[in-house]
Amino acid sequence: MTEATDLAERAGDRDPRVGLRAVAALRRLLEQLEAVQVRSARNQGWSWQEIAAELGVSRQAVHKKYGRH
Amino acid sequence: MFERFTRDAREVVQNAVEHAERTGARTVDPDHLLLALLDREGSRGSFALTSLGLDGERRESVRRAVTEARRRAGLSRAEADALAGLGIDVSEIVARVEEVHGVGAMSGDRRDRGWWSQGRRTFGRGAKQVLERALRSAVAHGDRHIGDEHLLLSLTLLPGVPAEVLADHGVTYEALSRILHGGPGEAKAG
Repeated sequence: MTEATDLAERAGDRDPRVGLRAVAALRRLLEQLEAVQVRSARNQGWSWQEIAAELGVSRQAVHKKYGRH
Repeated sequence: MFERFTRDAREVVQNAVEHAERTGARTVDPDHLLLALLDREGSRGSFALTSLGLDGERRESVRRAVTEARRRAGLSRAEADALAGLGIDVSEIVARVEEVHGVGAMSGDRRDRGWWSQGRRTFGRGAKQVLERALRSAVAHGDRHIGDEHLLLSLTLLPGVPAEVLADHGVTYEALSRILHGGPGEAKAG
């Protein structure tokens, strides 16, 4: 119960540190999610172009990030 | 920078690279440095860990906690709590992704090789910060060499999974400083 109270307080916290930490954590979560989905798409034979189009980025960007060197 | 590293510190760095390669990680991360430190015996860092109660069994507990955090996209509990504050349930997301893509999918590790396993692992930003902080810490203490104990101190100072897991096991910067330097050591902000 105290944990639930803590979380409720945190959600309404005006301390910028809490909000910034959440954004940084979200970014890391997003990076891992993206890697999982890109890998899955590649395994299913998607082209870099198709993946880039879905992600809304350039083909070069996605290939540079995940393509083999 | 590496020429000032002791043999122990070099071996920790080398072993961290091996940990990253073995698990198929994309980069060498701070948790690989921690895993490498836990493998040490007879070094200053290992002595400090043992003095704080990290014997074989407790070290295994640290390893498990690090691996578990990696499965949660490498997010620390503090980070997961911050996301919960936004209404985002990290465990729920991990569970759903693992349902479709298998256990450990969110760790970023690739056991089947091939996808990003070619070539040497590079040090990620976090691991570079650990090395830089270790250097600064050594300089601040007037130590001419950077030992594995400086890497350990550095891990407790930088926010993230290693610091959190170590603190859960009673290994904090303050506790380490007392053992290694007999005092509170440099200011935390340093």
